[in-house]
Amino acid sequence: MEKLLNELSSQSGFAYDIKCDVEADFSIPENLKRKSDLGLPGIAENDLLRHFTNLSRKNYALSTVFYPLGSCTMKYNPLINERIAKYDAFNSIHPCQPAETMQGILEIMHGLEKDLCEISGMDNFSLQPAAGAHGEFTGLLIIAAHFRSIKQKRTKIIVPDSAHGTNPASAAFAGFEIVPLKSEPDGSIDVSKLKEVLTNEVAAIMLTVPNTLGVFESKMREIAKAVHENGSLLYYDGANLNALMGFARPGDLGFDVMHINLHKTFSTPHGGGGPGSGPVGVKSFLERFLPVPRVEKKNKKYVLNYKKTKSIGAVKSFFGNFPVILRAYAYIKALGGNGLKNASAQAVLNANYMLAKFKDKINVPAGTRCMHEFVLSPKAALGGGVRTLDVAKRLLDYGYYAPTVYFPLIVEEAVMIEPTETESKETLDKFIETLNKIILEESVNEPQKVKDAPSNTPVTRLNEVEAARNPILKWKNR
Amino acid sequence: MDYTPKNKHDKQKMFDVLGIKSEEDLFDSIPVESRAKPLNVSGGHTEQELLEHFKNIAAKNKTLVSFRGAGIYDHYIPSLVGEITSRSEFWTAYTPYQAEASQGTLQAIFEYQSMICALTGMDVSNASLYDGATAAAEAALLALRVSGRKKILVSSGLNPEYIKTLKTYLQNFDAKIVLLDLSPNGTVEKATVDASSDGDTAAVIVQSPNYFGIVEDMQGLSETAKEKNALFTAVVNPVSLGVFQAPGEYGADIAVGEGQPLGIPLSAGGATFGFMAVRKGLEWKMPGRIVGQTTDKNGKRGFVLTLQSREQHIRREKATSNICTNASLNALAACVYMSGWGNGGFKKLAETNISKASYAFGKIKNIDGFKAKFEHSVFFNEFVIETAKDIKKINKALIKNAFLGPLDLSGSGKQFKNCMLFCVTEQRTKGEIDKLVEILAKV
Repeated sequence: MEKLLNELSSQSGFAYDIKCDVEADFSIPENLKRKSDLGLPGIAENDLLRHFTNLSRKNYALSTVFYPLGSCTMKYNPLINERIAKYDAFNSIHPCQPAETMQGILEIMHGLEKDLCEISGMDNFSLQPAAGAHGEFTGLLIIAAHFRSIKQKRTKIIVPDSAHGTNPASAAFAGFEIVPLKSEPDGSIDVSKLKEVLTNEVAAIMLTVPNTLGVFESKMREIAKAVHENGSLLYYDGANLNALMGFARPGDLGFDVMHINLHKTFSTPHGGGGPGSGPVGVKSFLERFLPVPRVEKKNKKYVLNYKKTKSIGAVKSFFGNFPVILRAYAYIKALGGNGLKNASAQAVLNANYMLAKFKDKINVPAGTRCMHEFVLSPKAALGGGVRTLDVAKRLLDYGYYAPTVYFPLIVEEAVMIEPTETESKETLDKFIETLNKIILEESVNEPQKVKDAPSNTPVTRLNEVEAARNPILKWKNR
Repeated sequence: MDYTPKNKHDKQKMFDVLGIKSEEDLFDSIPVESRAKPLNVSGGHTEQELLEHFKNIAAKNKTLVSFRGAGIYDHYIPSLVGEITSRSEFWTAYTPYQAEASQGTLQAIFEYQSMICALTGMDVSNASLYDGATAAAEAALLALRVSGRKKILVSSGLNPEYIKTLKTYLQNFDAKIVLLDLSPNGTVEKATVDASSDGDTAAVIVQSPNYFGIVEDMQGLSETAKEKNALFTAVVNPVSLGVFQAPGEYGADIAVGEGQPLGIPLSAGGATFGFMAVRKGLEWKMPGRIVGQTTDKNGKRGFVLTLQSREQHIRREKATSNICTNASLNALAACVYMSGWGNGGFKKLAETNISKASYAFGKIKNIDGFKAKFEHSVFFNEFVIETAKDIKKINKALIKNAFLGPLDLSGSGKQFKNCMLFCVTEQRTKGEIDKLVEILAKV
């Protein structure tokens, strides 16, 4: 067990020191002074280095194991992008510098916007949103602003029950009411069911394509027609864009607004949960509502334009998560148009290959072909009262991170697998063999072993109920 | 380079299993009329080419010696921070859904929460938000949720980026933002808060040090807010808390701020992180992830994501926020940063900021044509100077010397006409400050 910092600390050392080379008189009135102890640990650098290095070794990470986390697109994070992102001339730029002293930053932002337009078929992008959900929120504010501008009162957003939880949460956050839409067993949308809820109060429908079961929405044209004829807009959740690059573009499919998760499709590291980046793209009729500032090119120079009177405003400070934007741009420049298409092709090939190896033994609610990910429902195949959660934990014992489980909500005991394009057949084969073994053999022959998993990890099964019932959310003795 | 497997033999085997001739066959479900044309995206470069390409682009940026803050600060980042955040076990992991395989990230975030609570004097911290601006906006939403009231009072001394973001976040809500004017001293007066608040006031949001560098009387403002049963929300610079009163000491209900000063590079203002800490009782209403301590089957201590029934993946449209991905790696950086100073060192860091800023303040205000805007105010590492000279010209002269000069405050209202905001952190040497003074005197 790795000690906590406050247990390591005897206030006998410190790692960082500072000198002051000026003498200045200042006095702080008593009433403004801090009275309480700072409560920080005092630990020498040597010990801190060991502490944090040892902690890092308790993580399963993409750099150590296969990470088939569905909907998260855990593809290889190229090291060259990390190297570029560490350049001082990118890191040491203050956001309030004059634009002429950060032409490099602006050139990259402008370049990425342009490439994202080409890849997605949208007309304009804003790189300001800091994550996927933040992009959704921004897109929905744009939709609200659009209807305000044409003086239509539309207060509802349709969200299929197979959608990511962020969709309804973002819509509510943007002030909309949610209309749930029941999707078909394969996660697809039934156009007649859609029409039933498509009233003149509906501002937009949020769709994930391919959907969260890994199926392309084959009735996309009909859906787009019905939605647009109703005067509503189509929102594209870009979480699954990795299936489509070079094959289909949301803009061509009829979508009006979308976001992209740069930390999924464009290989930027997930960082243990961020920082990410969630650029928002729109068709030209919505451009004026995009967040400010906008990066523009004038007389061969890049400038920041804050004077957009119809803009929804700013959704965060400054321009966006630049280091993430930079890595995504470097990734696109490594691959180019052909490489991007090949990435999607290989991602879909890898997913289908895995699916083919499972489909005869484990229930697949969405059929035998998929796009970049697929969902298994192993309920019937599992023996001995073993549940999907147990299978996930058992996978950890074999040195794999677990797939996404219990999502999408419409699939019982769901196991959602997304291999991505950067894994070899050899890696996939070993994983397939292991997952089949756990579900088909271990759950039947040694169910208790699976229920007791994991046992090879730094800790065994953790008590989440207890954590929520008696929350301990910081060091106890401080 | 596309980072995909290159073994043709393997690929053929996969095609055989699937009974296909090429990957194209797997895209049958996309109707032909919906197919994309070949992408017109340049690229296909090797590593060497990329290095060269981006080196050339980077050369178009100018790295400057910074005397500008306004929300993003040039602080020294100790070597240990980069060493730890560069460990691929941290940066290539994802959100710690599988706790047993994510104890590194989870314990580090638990330690981060502990130290944010220690610094702010608050009871509960979340695992991070996107940045200071969105943290302030989330604090306003939290207050609206908790109180059921409709009005948010906001100090005009709040960073204008935060005010803009707050307005954006609340634009579709039945809620009203009321800006509190600053007194001639550059601070929010208790009387102003008192006069503007009523039974519908959900929160009073005050930044200290405020955007103009001045440390506010947070104790008095907090008491006034409480008299009206409004949630007092403190927006604070975490490094300043080494010396100045902590939000917990003056009874703040919510403390938020920009985490960038805690070991995050300037990076054109992002990616940074926002922190949020609340008093006990508000944790179930708080947005974002929270890590909690628990035990495993053998009674061994471990960490998990907890209070998850607040979050979007469980509650969907009824969640306290839509946030999913936050800024975990930067919270880790802050964790490493906060852990290495010790109490004395962190206090010394804050004092050094005050010393250097005071030294620069004393010199600059005595230059001909310059004067202190708020002569007797208490400041941390930023201060306002008024001048009869042309501020644009001043900044041009400084840029020529590779200095990033003060922020022109002409956009901050009449009160700040001919004013500029200087920032001096521990990074600036005596030599640099003297040189700044020399250039200013010559303009």
